[in-house]
Amino acid sequence: MTQRIVTAAALDKLVAEWAKSGAVYAPVKVKDWTEFRRISSLAEADLTRVNTKLSAKGLVFPQCETMFRFETNRPDKAEEVAQPGAQVVLGVRPCDAAGIAVLDEFFTGQGETDAYYQRRRERTVLVGLSCDAPADTCFCSAVGGSPAGTSGLDLLLTDVGGKYVAEPLADRGAALVDGMPEATAPDLAKKAELAGKAAAAMADRIDTRKLKGLLDAADGHPIWEELSLPCVNCGACTFICPTCHCFDMTDETRKGKGARIRVWDTCQSCMYSQHASGHNPRLAPAARFRNRTMDKFRYTVDMVGEVSCVGCGRCIRECPAAIDIRETVDVLLRQLSQSDAMQNADCKMQKSK
Amino acid sequence: MSREAQLRKRARELLADKCVVMVLGYRPAKREGAVQPAFITRPEDADALVFDDRCGMNLAAYLPRVKHLGRIAVVAKGCDSRSIVGLLKEKQVARDQLVILGVGCEGVKENGRLSDACTTCAYPNPVICDEMLSDNAPERKPAADPLAEFEKLTPDERWQALADDVARCIRCYACRQVCPNCYCPTCFMDASGPQWVGKTTADSDNMMFHLMRAMHMAGRCVECGTCSRGCPMGIDLMKFNRKVAKIVKERFGAVAGLDPDEPPALAAFDPNDKQEFIR
Repeated sequence: MTQRIVTAAALDKLVAEWAKSGAVYAPVKVKDWTEFRRISSLAEADLTRVNTKLSAKGLVFPQCETMFRFETNRPDKAEEVAQPGAQVVLGVRPCDAAGIAVLDEFFTGQGETDAYYQRRRERTVLVGLSCDAPADTCFCSAVGGSPAGTSGLDLLLTDVGGKYVAEPLADRGAALVDGMPEATAPDLAKKAELAGKAAAAMADRIDTRKLKGLLDAADGHPIWEELSLPCVNCGACTFICPTCHCFDMTDETRKGKGARIRVWDTCQSCMYSQHASGHNPRLAPAARFRNRTMDKFRYTVDMVGEVSCVGCGRCIRECPAAIDIRETVDVLLRQLSQSDAMQNADCKMQKSK
Repeated sequence: MSREAQLRKRARELLADKCVVMVLGYRPAKREGAVQPAFITRPEDADALVFDDRCGMNLAAYLPRVKHLGRIAVVAKGCDSRSIVGLLKEKQVARDQLVILGVGCEGVKENGRLSDACTTCAYPNPVICDEMLSDNAPERKPAADPLAEFEKLTPDERWQALADDVARCIRCYACRQVCPNCYCPTCFMDASGPQWVGKTTADSDNMMFHLMRAMHMAGRCVECGTCSRGCPMGIDLMKFNRKVAKIVKERFGAVAGLDPDEPPALAAFDPNDKQEFIR
């Protein structure tokens, strides 16, 4: 689709226009970070920071969502809650958008479709913003993403100096910038140059295929004990993660009336895997730590064909024990390769006997 | 010998002599400028240890998790040592299973600034230790009472100030998990039969969590600030901690984490209690 030019003034007008027909969300400065908040004009947004405190996940998969209401003495009757309204999310970084693309796979890609997710997602338009200055915790290009990645987006804006190159990726994205002037060859060259520079500032590509192979055989490996020692098993990494999507359901009832609410859950909590029988297969902290790493680089590859770490770096930034998933991966690749090699050597020795 | 050289030397010796099975300290994290807890078990790894003003996490929180391994040596600042006193008092660790390596602390830095909790620290040096790795740090002049503004507010305004802050809570429980006081096998927050507190992030649920946690900290919290620094959402948890500690000091004359033999302020009975109802 034709890439267009949107000046800052034009974007200001567009935001005002979008805000008339639905909610517009964008990063807004809060204390010394940014969070997605509803805005009515572009002036309220802060598009200069790399990553918001929480990812954009909560806008399509809220931390708490009422699914339906009920009366305790009327088990046959459930009252639907109102449909979510239309929303435009402006300033989504490519890693967050890639995260939403992963959520799309989980909730709507195969098997049962999650109606609650789907209806919100269908009414959400994602307007991305390319990164030109990654943070020291960013590593999207190391896990297959890009500072100008388009996965999950309807439209990608790239700041090329006082104006944006707008790349439509879906019809509804194209509709947003319909009538804007076409981007010129120098504009597009500038955009490519910025993306290249930003990618170069990040770590080398992680061999995720090799890692997946190693993890397939690493369930009982002693490395997990060692790696998990600093982990306090809080849920910070999972809640701020753009792709972690586990939820719990809870009924809140009062005077015969109730609501079924789903809330984010975390595999780091020992209650997550508590069985009704009293048995808990993942009681050990190391097992919980292992689960999250395995989920990102092994289980989701089996389920949806790609790793579910998008390299946003939030877990590195917010971990109270400064655990760095890049280091975890480094150690796993190094140590599991070694033990793999040792096992192979053992096999050969046995065969030669 | 520098503090860090002394730390590495003693860690190496304690492990080589099999006095301890693990030295709990700090090491540089992969991210430039960050440190993380280190769990050193081999003498040759002792050189990984560092100690400086980035070492803010309260290592006492790990003791109940690693105590089954055997005797542990732990690097302790003033606040860490007070948390250890709390764990001893509550019989969570045994004194003879610890080797406390004390360090004088000049305060923890966050983004180049003195961490909020450290601005009111009255105990920069260990209150209990087996050996000091450094000289005592100079006593710090505590900042003006950070509660002064808060206490000027009306009860409604106070409620609103706390509510505005905890509205950001995502209930990840990082505050609970990094806290040396929070070692319960099942937290009241996780209990499901009955479920004491709602699981949503509605204002009432968030406030309930933070107020109940504050009550559970009364007479126990040493105001180390690890929860405030660990909170991914930047909630001012020290406001709760300071207020509760202040009330306990005023009403019970007790300061947490100073004396392992002193009964816990809110878990002891005194027939001479000045409150009528308790007699």
